[in-house]
Amino acid sequence: MNDRRHAIEARELVFSYRPGQPVLRGVSVACGTGKLLCVLGRNGSGKTTLLRCLLGQLAPQRGAIELDGKELRRHSRRQLARLLAYVPQFPASAFAFTVGELVLMGRYCHTGLMGLATERDRSVAREAMKMTGTLAFAGRTLEELSGGEAQCVMIARALAQQPSVILLDEPTSHLDIRNQLMIYRMMQRLAHDWQMAVVCVSHDVNLAARFADELLLMRDGEVVAAGPPPEVIRQDVLERTYDVGIDLLPAGGDVPIVVGR
Amino acid sequence: MNAPTHPGIAPPLSAGRLIAMLAVLLAAALAVAGGCSLVGITPLSQLDAQIWAIRLVRLLVGALVGAALGAAGTALQGILRNPLADPFILGISSGAGVGVLMGMAVSSWQRGLPTVLSIPAMGLIGAAVTCAVVYGIAQRRGRLDPYVLLLSGVIVNAFNGAIMLAIFLFIKPYVVSAYVIWTMGRLTDNVSWQALVLSSVCVAGGWSLLIFRGSAFNTLGLGDEVASSSGVAVNRLRIETFVVVSLVTAAAVALAGPIGFVGLIVPHICRFIVGPDHRRLMLVSGFIGAMFLMSADTLCRTAGEWVGMGEIPVGIVTAFCGGPFFIFLLRRRGREGWS
Repeated sequence: MNDRRHAIEARELVFSYRPGQPVLRGVSVACGTGKLLCVLGRNGSGKTTLLRCLLGQLAPQRGAIELDGKELRRHSRRQLARLLAYVPQFPASAFAFTVGELVLMGRYCHTGLMGLATERDRSVAREAMKMTGTLAFAGRTLEELSGGEAQCVMIARALAQQPSVILLDEPTSHLDIRNQLMIYRMMQRLAHDWQMAVVCVSHDVNLAARFADELLLMRDGEVVAAGPPPEVIRQDVLERTYDVGIDLLPAGGDVPIVVGR
Repeated sequence: MNAPTHPGIAPPLSAGRLIAMLAVLLAAALAVAGGCSLVGITPLSQLDAQIWAIRLVRLLVGALVGAALGAAGTALQGILRNPLADPFILGISSGAGVGVLMGMAVSSWQRGLPTVLSIPAMGLIGAAVTCAVVYGIAQRRGRLDPYVLLLSGVIVNAFNGAIMLAIFLFIKPYVVSAYVIWTMGRLTDNVSWQALVLSSVCVAGGWSLLIFRGSAFNTLGLGDEVASSSGVAVNRLRIETFVVVSLVTAAAVALAGPIGFVGLIVPHICRFIVGPDHRRLMLVSGFIGAMFLMSADTLCRTAGEWVGMGEIPVGIVTAFCGGPFFIFLLRRRGREGWS
């Protein structure tokens, strides 16, 4: 096992949309291959900004981001897409593509000038659909699917890029319990079985604590705590993170259930 | 492909597609036949040959303008994720019109300027400036409101219209009527071969550039963030597309004036025939646009002669068809709650 090598690592990120109002104030985060990292925190704590920095869509004013042992901004956009994929909060396509066509679009960074798919592109897309259980509705459009199925399609599309790091922005925020569990199991499988680094911004403390290998708790653009769930899920840490009274109820596993007071 | 959900696209049933293709072929045949019937094919005297040449020039102008507007409309609808986008509605055509009119007005005062170059160049500047203004108004914090986009197009159109009227004040009165007909959008055979070559190069070049952006347009439908993380340089793609759309629109407007709604209708016809994939759409839209405008113009020319009105500018007819079609799309879109 190569635990020491981080697939993606950010050090001391400082970012502000407007001068004098930093949204990130020196955030450091790292996710190794084969790990599921969940980022938790209140609304406006800088989680999404952090994610967009890691995606290379925002340029932090200070700090460094390393992807695959190389400075993020030194990768070309296509190179970046081959290493790093993104799953949005709300799956949507403005054009009425089928699931199969959407997943095949994940091959954009691997195809040539005309964007024509090769046999290999097709087989990778097929494999991605198999992994996510979306092959059965490859001929349907997104609008014909349930929220959970549509989210699986977006994950399949991201996997078609064959990345080593995958970033997800609150992928379960609009899903029912069953689908939430399914998505978290899938993220865990991507990390543990497929040796990807999976970073997920989340609002569900309990699901994150149950499935993640590492948690990162943020407040006002700073890291409150980071580490494996049993170390981080503590009353004082959570109260500081969420600014609300927290009760911990004993549960079967090694992590208690978190309830707001 | 399955049942579509994109507003403005009818179900691509095989029978429906067949009918659409037949209709297009029919229209194309009509265009050619209309051209022929007015000339008479059999004895090719010297006079006939000249008339043929004139008709051919006019058909070629129609093909160029139609291809330009069809491709421009398809690219705009793709890049803005808006099925109501069109160079005319967004004010790009009227922007090019202002530029072209300025070029023409200047050359009417002072002969000797190379109008073949200066008129399309002025058109390009007008179109590009309008593009930047409309996009600048509609875009807030990187997000594009589809309704604000259409509204800013309306406002900019009104503004450009006022400039065009103001330009009329500076033109010698006896040529104003020719300019007025030009602003309606009409095809003509009175085009120099230099202008024809220059516009052909612009349209063909711009169109092929857009064809190569097809898969990027597809990916952009998933949203800016997803597209960018898939390897699409989103901002560069937008700017490139706006410049190319301005270029081909300027070429079309310099040839035929601001003809409306071709860029709105043609992409929907194309989606109906080949589905939502922009790699195919960008290719097909140029051809369909060319056939569409050639047939519409032939219709105008022959119909006008039948009712004894002389020629009806084709822009009037496309507006007559396009206006109701726009309302149809708008209503349909509201019902499906798509934005």
